[in-house]
Amino acid sequence: MSTVLTIPKLEMSMSEGTLAEWMVESGTAVQQGEVIYLLETNKAAREIEAPVAGTLIIKAADGETYPCGTEIGEIV
Amino acid sequence: MANGNLGIEPEVLKAIYGQMTRIRAVDKAIQAGLSAGKFMFTYWPMTGQECIPATISQLTSERDYMVTTYRGIHDQVAKGVDLFGMFAEALGRQDGVNKGKGGSPHISDPSSGSMVTTAIVGAGAPIANGLAISAKERGEDRVTIVNFGDGATSIGAVHEAMNLAGAWKLPVIFMCQNNQWGEYTPIPDYTASPNFYGRAEALGFRGVQLDGNDPAAFYNGMKDVIDHVRAGKGPVFVEAMTYRMGPHAGVGDNYNADKDVLAAARERAPIEKTRALLIEAGICSDDELTALETATAAEVEDAITRAMASPVTPATETVIDVFADVTCVPQRGVYPERADEGALPADTKSMSMVEAIRDAQHIAMTKNPEVFILGEDVGDPQGGVFGTNKGLQTEFGKNRVRPTPIAEQAIIGAAIGSSIAGMNPIAEIMFTDFFGVCMDQVYNHAAKQRYMSGSATHAPMTIRVQAGGGMGGFGAQHSQSMEAWLLHSPGIKVVYPSNPIDAKGLLASCIADPDPCVMIESMMLLFTQKADVPTGDYRVPLGVAKVVREGTDITLISYGWMLHQALAAAEELAKEGISAEVIDLRSLMPIDYHRVLASVKKTGRALVVHAAVEFCGLGSEICATINEELWGQLKAPASRLGAEYAPIAYSQAIEFSQVPGAAAITARARATVKS
Repeated sequence: MSTVLTIPKLEMSMSEGTLAEWMVESGTAVQQGEVIYLLETNKAAREIEAPVAGTLIIKAADGETYPCGTEIGEIV
Repeated sequence: MANGNLGIEPEVLKAIYGQMTRIRAVDKAIQAGLSAGKFMFTYWPMTGQECIPATISQLTSERDYMVTTYRGIHDQVAKGVDLFGMFAEALGRQDGVNKGKGGSPHISDPSSGSMVTTAIVGAGAPIANGLAISAKERGEDRVTIVNFGDGATSIGAVHEAMNLAGAWKLPVIFMCQNNQWGEYTPIPDYTASPNFYGRAEALGFRGVQLDGNDPAAFYNGMKDVIDHVRAGKGPVFVEAMTYRMGPHAGVGDNYNADKDVLAAARERAPIEKTRALLIEAGICSDDELTALETATAAEVEDAITRAMASPVTPATETVIDVFADVTCVPQRGVYPERADEGALPADTKSMSMVEAIRDAQHIAMTKNPEVFILGEDVGDPQGGVFGTNKGLQTEFGKNRVRPTPIAEQAIIGAAIGSSIAGMNPIAEIMFTDFFGVCMDQVYNHAAKQRYMSGSATHAPMTIRVQAGGGMGGFGAQHSQSMEAWLLHSPGIKVVYPSNPIDAKGLLASCIADPDPCVMIESMMLLFTQKADVPTGDYRVPLGVAKVVREGTDITLISYGWMLHQALAAAEELAKEGISAEVIDLRSLMPIDYHRVLASVKKTGRALVVHAAVEFCGLGSEICATINEELWGQLKAPASRLGAEYAPIAYSQAIEFSQVPGAAAITARARATVKS
């Protein structure tokens, strides 16, 4: 079962986030808890960890701002 | 280190660590799920504060009551709230402990003793007092623990609650989890206090400061505190020192904190330290603890997986749980006919409204030992500012007629808490104007508890208030009519009697009702009229209006003091050949649209009259319903007449003109009929 990655809503006031940088390349195996991308919000930059172990499939380019809930990849 | 030096039984320390592990697993799973976008809800992390509830869990049982706050997932987990039900609740699902209606900030799970969770900072403290009253009055040895953060010490509700608990020696523990932050603002930016436990000492009861990150020290300190409270020695305020590692809301680190401060706090954080201690002391092996952590993480994952499979609570649930009986909810096009009171007992006695109210309370207190009165000056000899309780304290004692500090939040909170525990308190707060200082307790807590808890808990309490306006001499802050405020707060029932017979019967219904009720008593009616009131027990059902004068040309709809102005107007109109029917609403919520519409269908015209400000008043609501439902059958649009849009003036020339009197009602009714 794959785990879908979306732009999270980390703050009450957050409506969008900037996927600043993928830290892992698409197709790479990741461990649960490994930092997979850097998310910038209006408050701070956050290192987002892989919620599960598996292979990361990237579906959205970094350097872009997306609304919360946008699918940006999955871990299969 | 030898076990003997731990200062705590190894098995207890292990059990505390087990609870901390559960809390950590829940915290991590939520943060991971939110970060991955797996689910979306607002989260107020308590990372770093795990030791406090984990330790308390080893000293309390599900019989002990807990009240906590939105930053209280750790409290819920350690209290024993089912993880599946808790996650389903946080996700707004049908299988949530509260049917998905409250969410994580409003968990109410009586089976574990987690009674009330509030998202209003500090508001749980007055309610905890009420739970403690019930335990004390019933002779139970339960303790009530109310959790809040250091930030809550700034708000008045906490001060009011502490003062009342001290005065009444209630078995309650004020558990201040001092995590150094009030939301985004740190100590000392919001207070010059050197500590918080000292405030309890200032109020005359015990305050202690404990290390909330050290399980052995905290366990021993709390054991002493809980023993003290359980033994009936009065409340204790505990300042449990800890540190919030996360932000106010969201995930990750507390980004407002200085990096060095955060790093130092991480060194003192309880979980890793306790884990190392268990291994060092030879209580557990690393493998054993790893196995425990793995099993706990699996338990949490399983709960989340099942919770996510639970259906989202559907919109068909919207008006369920507002009241015990869904037919009380006002809904477009649904106007149930409720049975009236029928014939009342034949034996009567001449009584004023004051005497009738006193009689209703006397009967309820005689029949049900769980009915009690609390409020300012309610004790004898004066028996309340208006004497509505005269003699009751003498007859029933100081525990059942409780004069309170001048602290309306404490009064209403105590009524809420004791009613949630199943008692039937009657809280008197004198003038309706004083809703202003306790409205949070009324509309955020009493009104919403049933709904937010999916009917897991509810607050069957009564509030009695007096209303002025139109008699002169009280000024802008003692003369208002606030019923529209209450009617706009779903979950509160409101009655407004116009005579002693209804006052007694309506109050009896309110006291017995499963929902929070407010009875508004016109000051102008308390002493001025007498009626032959049945002496026995009888009820005037809620939501049943009464035609008090029959007529054919126009329906005048009113309640309370203004009903008498409407009756006087009807008399005047009769002289002019206009036949006015007069309806006394008696209950404003639930409202009896059935009888109102039936009357207006007959007369073809309607005028709603109240002392409250006309703009956005109940009259507007009733007129809108009449106009929509009877459009085409009306001879004139339904109209409303209330007070002019101004505070009540001290000048009697203004006051007597701004609130409608018989002449103004007559003029408007005449114009309506002749239009």
